[in-house]
Amino acid sequence: MTAESRAIAWGELAVGTAASIDFVVSAEELQQFATLSGDCNPLHVDADFARSKGFDDVVVHGALLVAKVSQLIGMHLPGRDSVWTGLALQFRQPLYVGREARVEAVILRLSPATGMVLLKLTLRAGEVLLAKGEAEVLLVRS
Amino acid sequence: MKSDNNLTQIYSKLTEIFRDVFDDDSLQVTPELTAADVDEWDSLNHIRLVVSIERAFGLSFSAAQVGRLKNVGEFAELIVSKL
Repeated sequence: MTAESRAIAWGELAVGTAASIDFVVSAEELQQFATLSGDCNPLHVDADFARSKGFDDVVVHGALLVAKVSQLIGMHLPGRDSVWTGLALQFRQPLYVGREARVEAVILRLSPATGMVLLKLTLRAGEVLLAKGEAEVLLVRS
Repeated sequence: MKSDNNLTQIYSKLTEIFRDVFDDDSLQVTPELTAADVDEWDSLNHIRLVVSIERAFGLSFSAAQVGRLKNVGEFAELIVSKL
């Protein structure tokens, strides 16, 4: 992985600035994440079990959605010079393998005294709200 | 009298914030309190403290305003001046 994270100066940030990433989780990635996280709950790896619990298919881990938030923060907004210091997220609907999804961050508040950036987060699959919340990110200014 | 009441409310709110940030329900917030009095008061917790206060009071401070504060009493005065 050699992608470069975007560098944004404090002065370039403004309330309302937004960034997003579109993604699709494949069956292989879900399996890799189950192995990586150690969360091999059948809800995530056994379709018959997931259906028996009322879901359409195996459910993508909530933490994998958080990983996409991490990508958005670390690579795009605020990017290279940021340190993630807080997260509150509510999961509303499941994401299934192969579905197109989008994670979006919008700057809600800036704290000039500290360099802290408060982001509003939303994750959607089409019009379906998957999760929403807030993240606090410190922009380390040189 | 009204300003005394405001100050009491501010210290009550500050106490709640300090106890949450430093994870210490016994922390007594007084005007004389400084970073030297709280073991966990490092640079990252200082940022957490300032951000929590900004959010709780709906205020925004500049780096210079926060940088010259010597104790909690001066922080409370800064809050009063902005309310």
